[in-house]
Amino acid sequence: MDENKLKADALVVGGGIAGMQSALDLADQGYQVILVEKEPSIGGKMIMLSKVFPTLDCASCITTPKMSAVANNKNIRILSYSEIQSIQKNGSGFIANVLKKPRFVVEETCTGCRLCEYACPVDIPNPFDLNIGAIRAVRVPFSTAVPQIAVLDMDNCILCGKCARACPVDSIDFLQTEKEVEIEVDTLIIATGFETTPIDAKKEYGNGKLHNVIDGLIMERLLAPTGPYARVIRPGDGKEPESIAYVQCAGSRDETLGVPYCSRICCMYAIKQAMLIAGSLPMADITIYYMDIRTFGKGYEQFYQNAQAMGIEFVKGKVAKISEDENQNPVVRVELIDENSQIIERTHDMIVLSVGMIPKYNPSQVYGVNVDEFGFVKSPTPNLSSTKTNQPGIFATGASTGPMDIVDSINSASAAASSAASYLESVRNGK
Amino acid sequence: MTEKTNPKPEETKIGVYVCYCGGNISDVVDVEKVAEKMREHPNVTIARTDMSMCSDAGQSIVENDIKELGLNRVVIGACAPSLHEHTFRGTVARGGLNPYFFHHVGLREQDSWVHSNNPGGATEKAIRLMYAGIAKANLLKPLDMIKLKAERHALVIGGGVAGLRAAYDIAGRGINVTLIEKTPFLGGRMAQLETVFPTGNNAREDLHSLINEVRTHPLITIHTLSELVNIRGYIGNYDVQIRSQSRGVSGDNAEAALAACTQEVPDDFNYGLTKRKVVYRAYEGCFPSTPAVDWEHYDGKPIEIDGQKVIFENKKKTFDLRIGAIVIATGFQPYEPPRGDYGYDELPEVVTLPQFIRHMGLRDGNVGELTWKGHPVRDIAAIHCVGSRHLAGVHEPQPDGILNNYCSRVCCTATLHQVNELLDEYPNINVYDFYEDIRTYGLEHESYYTEASKKMVRFLRFHGDQRPEVVAAPEGDTHPVLVKGKDYLTNGLEVEVPVDLVILAVGMVPRPVDDLVDMMKIPKGDDRFLLEVHPKLRPVETPVPGIVLAGTAQSPMNIQESCNAASAAAAKVAVLLAAGQVELDPYVANVDLDKCEGTGACIEVCEYEDAIVLETMTVEGKEVQRAVVTPANCSGCGNCVSACPHHAIDVQGWEVAHYEAMVDAITMEVEI
Repeated sequence: MDENKLKADALVVGGGIAGMQSALDLADQGYQVILVEKEPSIGGKMIMLSKVFPTLDCASCITTPKMSAVANNKNIRILSYSEIQSIQKNGSGFIANVLKKPRFVVEETCTGCRLCEYACPVDIPNPFDLNIGAIRAVRVPFSTAVPQIAVLDMDNCILCGKCARACPVDSIDFLQTEKEVEIEVDTLIIATGFETTPIDAKKEYGNGKLHNVIDGLIMERLLAPTGPYARVIRPGDGKEPESIAYVQCAGSRDETLGVPYCSRICCMYAIKQAMLIAGSLPMADITIYYMDIRTFGKGYEQFYQNAQAMGIEFVKGKVAKISEDENQNPVVRVELIDENSQIIERTHDMIVLSVGMIPKYNPSQVYGVNVDEFGFVKSPTPNLSSTKTNQPGIFATGASTGPMDIVDSINSASAAASSAASYLESVRNGK
Repeated sequence: MTEKTNPKPEETKIGVYVCYCGGNISDVVDVEKVAEKMREHPNVTIARTDMSMCSDAGQSIVENDIKELGLNRVVIGACAPSLHEHTFRGTVARGGLNPYFFHHVGLREQDSWVHSNNPGGATEKAIRLMYAGIAKANLLKPLDMIKLKAERHALVIGGGVAGLRAAYDIAGRGINVTLIEKTPFLGGRMAQLETVFPTGNNAREDLHSLINEVRTHPLITIHTLSELVNIRGYIGNYDVQIRSQSRGVSGDNAEAALAACTQEVPDDFNYGLTKRKVVYRAYEGCFPSTPAVDWEHYDGKPIEIDGQKVIFENKKKTFDLRIGAIVIATGFQPYEPPRGDYGYDELPEVVTLPQFIRHMGLRDGNVGELTWKGHPVRDIAAIHCVGSRHLAGVHEPQPDGILNNYCSRVCCTATLHQVNELLDEYPNINVYDFYEDIRTYGLEHESYYTEASKKMVRFLRFHGDQRPEVVAAPEGDTHPVLVKGKDYLTNGLEVEVPVDLVILAVGMVPRPVDDLVDMMKIPKGDDRFLLEVHPKLRPVETPVPGIVLAGTAQSPMNIQESCNAASAAAAKVAVLLAAGQVELDPYVANVDLDKCEGTGACIEVCEYEDAIVLETMTVEGKEVQRAVVTPANCSGCGNCVSACPHHAIDVQGWEVAHYEAMVDAITMEVEI
């Protein structure tokens, strides 16, 4: 078949946990699925995480096998490092135009041996570690990436040619260009996920300029065994923190940031991180400043109670301001609501902002689907069939439809697969 | 022993892999030392470690080693086999080996997690467990999965919104569905609501749109008043028996019977706030629309219809179906506080939120003034977390010994939604909301909290161990009831709020389904809800193949979450049944007919029906009885293995010889 024209039953846009689950559930029913992922590897946000609540399984223990299952499923084809350009209606189905970005590495021959990476003299901030660690300009994106194919960052490449000489299979191609691929499918699932609310948005919290204030996702990388330092240290000076505080709702339930909604995951990830820190830095004091603790899922309330029993301090109070002292220690100003509403200033070694979720991508233009004021895909039937969109044949799942945790995303993804399968059957039976 | 039953183990070339498990194992166990030790083993061709063996990169290493080094056995030390044994079996198969030439050693759940305070001991244990795995791998034989035809027919238990959603989605995939509902009417708990968040839609209108899709679908058969009474078989081929009761009335006689009936009982649809006849409809517009007799309460006396005395008869019938997969959507019931808790069932002014919703629905369009039992309502208190978030050592366990320590997830938004609607209609009512944490977590839910604040709902925050009390007000007081508590938004101030009505935001408990649990051998969690295999890997599946969960039988959920879970359950059923064939692990009993003497001891101890039976066969011209296994019915539990006096039975893949070799390896005297 002409590689510029592909045909399948379903197109899943986004290779995070939701997109992977939708693709697997369709493929396992015998449908042909194409999975388009913008990044060089599938895995989404979940593969970046340390451990996941409430089971404390390591995130890769859940994600990497799913990634592998996707890669090895004969009914799924992954188009990584590719973006949807446009979607046209085609009868009851769709034609998607996809731009395959150049990796400057020949996908068909690259074996993922990483010799190019070892040869490359250019270190750049590692996007997989949210730019805190370093990585080479040409590299396999991360150790468990799928596909295991190198990608070259042309913006930072100095064209020294060391990688090309090191490559045993002659896969480096400095002249590679982008490629357009046309995909004809009968149904589409949007699984474009989320990003975290920006750390520099809030003036009261230092606009991202305070040395030892990080966000929850960076803490995930610090806690992850595959992370940049494999331990928790202050970004400002590399010291091991003895007192760490979490500021909840630092990007959610905040109309001044344009995010009035609750992001659902932050209470649980803060508690989880606090527990993990308590494990790796047993002497550290950990405080969580909160408005309401929202541990609503199955097993979550017990998780919260366990954290309290471990000695993690929960302080009811919305942090008004974060500043820093002469030693770059962050200082919080907070009203202790449970203690006579005293207003105090407390110094910590490090602060983690529990940032919330905003949509990664607004699909309204390209897909013609309705979105809400924040850019989340809006279902016409949010209760009975939340993955439906106003466009017949287009479904949306996971965090593209609103903040949700992994468990809820996975159910939503399977639900989208179910709805898409029903749509495929109804189209085929000419209903 | 003959040569035939005890073949010499072929010379094995074993690949051994020890996983860091992203730190889960390596933080405690010295993984490199374990691999080092394995390299000294004579059967081991290669021993490697990896940060996560289950990743595609990790699996590729194994695949390549099989191909390039000619490995013929693989042993991986990683998480529990329940997580990734299946994953690695696929890896081994892709490498070109029989997938059962693989043994999975649990180094996480069985070692690093339980010995985190003793790294040295954990490392030694890991080494010994790995030795045992190698000892077993030496003896492994090739096996094939058991392939079975699967009936393309699903049974959905429960006709609430989750069951309806699951049924419709499974049928949408071209699979037949039988939906059974215990009561005479479809709709479940959702029918008892008035409006739903976050749309504000009428609950029954939304519900009826789904019911109409379900009842007109050609592949769905609905049986109301029906229950599962027996189940046999296995995934793809369950033989189920369903018992149905009759409606008691039909056709022309139905309306007349409804009109003529005079016996009244508390109306469960309205949570006992009103009474209804024993010939009844759940509500106007319900489906099916034909009334039914409430057999539990009908006194059996004749009712006079058109001058004739009629006694209703419950014509029960049972029927059998062959089913490929089962969806359990048995739902929840609102927590009912014990008498006296928060004044419930003692003070007439204390209601649960579901009751209050019914009260609002029952008003006949009179918007002038809200009344409760004839009295005007001016001040209302809502109390959250009733029956939820209980604390060990503070709250009493429930009568069944279980502490309701979970959050019921729905009650915060449901309460504020109801309060806001109430205040839209009756802006002069004062609402006092006693809460611990407000959990309006969904995308559009926080706005209910914001709106309630704007509508001047007074929020008072209690601590979980100091919950408010509800007491009768002294005679002659302005209000009938006082709510007393400490408000931690105002420095723990002692408050006493006089109100006309107290609404208890009660949590969810699963409907009692112990009969199903026993019949199907599915597990319940510590919170009584049905338990999934793994919240992320297999979130709607039970450990029993082909039995999946939908909705609030599994945990508290709102309607959106229930429908998503139900659709997810439908996807799993479609995956299982779409191909019309299922595959099972071959870990089943296997009889060595040369040793079997037909004693039948195996059958006596077998707990599974038709898993092992005696059949007559001819051996050396003589008719004898011999044990024969039906692999699909066998669970591989091994009871028969221990019972057989002639050692004629073994479980494939887990033979007695395997255990002996493993025990020898674990207890081997060796310097570690």
